[in-house]
Amino acid sequence: MPEDTKKDTKVAVNTGDAEHMRIKVYAPFKVYFDGLAKSISAVNDTGPFDILPRHHNFMTLINTGDVIVRSDSGEEKIPIVRGIMHVKADEVVVFLDV
Amino acid sequence: MGKRPAEIERDEAAMGTLVELTSVFEGIASMRIAQIKNQVLQATEFFNELWHIYSQLRVSTFFGFGRNADEEVEIIDKELYIVITAEGGFSGDIDQKLIQLMLKTYDKDKNEIIVIGHHGAIQLAQRNVSYKKYYKLPNKDKDINVSPIIKEVQQYRTTTVFYQEYVSLMVQDVKRIELSSAVQQKGKSVDEGDEIITEANYIFEPSTYDVVDHLERSMMHIAMSQLILNSKLAQYASRFRAMSASHTRADEAKSELHLDFNRARRAIKDERLKEIVNGMKKSAAAGASK
Repeated sequence: MPEDTKKDTKVAVNTGDAEHMRIKVYAPFKVYFDGLAKSISAVNDTGPFDILPRHHNFMTLINTGDVIVRSDSGEEKIPIVRGIMHVKADEVVVFLDV
Repeated sequence: MGKRPAEIERDEAAMGTLVELTSVFEGIASMRIAQIKNQVLQATEFFNELWHIYSQLRVSTFFGFGRNADEEVEIIDKELYIVITAEGGFSGDIDQKLIQLMLKTYDKDKNEIIVIGHHGAIQLAQRNVSYKKYYKLPNKDKDINVSPIIKEVQQYRTTTVFYQEYVSLMVQDVKRIELSSAVQQKGKSVDEGDEIITEANYIFEPSTYDVVDHLERSMMHIAMSQLILNSKLAQYASRFRAMSASHTRADEAKSELHLDFNRARRAIKDERLKEIVNGMKKSAAAGASK
């Protein structure tokens, strides 16, 4: 019974939450972040930018610098050389080293 | 005259070392095979997700090799051949087969060659075939830097890659594939998704074409890296097969030597016994004559 309750809570957090987005930052051979987060920041040709929940569909090339993911457990800085970011319906995928 | 038992015993010990060595090489090769198979799987997942996005983009029906649409690039009107061989010569005959496959269609006026792997470069030099560039086969199995090769690819009309394919531990094949087909073939296994990505429903930065170029380059990088990994996998399997055969031969030779050793020892004992019996016969005969 306690096991089921735990499972339900996890599903509820994953599927609907106006404060969180599902974020995955990964390279062909390594996953740097995969989970729920409040925001993600990076740098592109225009300059530094942040992605928050309910952002418009967006695709951008990202430049050398740090990708910063802010989740409930804190801030995670991922140094990158280059990458591409895809944002759609509160799901953000960052492809690195490509 | 046959070898003395002591000599055979030395040969047997040397053969024993060879049996152990081939067994170690066999073990290393099978371990590397498992590691590379895992890398190929991981990179495939990444590629599939990129392809999923690319397939929804509606910009052009042609695969542009990631060439920048704004830049006027002069394309060399030749077909580039990239041949992926082993670095060393311990991979059985698979490199020779690959070079033979490539030379079947090679025409020096229509093709230029880039070789990956020292063994392939030697094979071509032995056949007096000149190549444009040679790259060392990467030692590592992850994050292979294929950018210099992709830059070369972008200069040519088309590119065909000759590579080695791992079918199973005991079967490896040599193959050719046109690079843009390699990318599209990899993408065939991915669900294309219903949604269409256009400038009407997406914001692109810096521009749509830049993003598409980047996606195409990225997928070519992955497809090229995968072909290199696949070739390495086949080379390790071929090496495993060669080592496995050497191990069996060395084991058989060791057993053979052990038998020879026993036979030689027995022959010496028999010889001594014969001498003793003859000696006894002679002394018995001498006693009877007295």
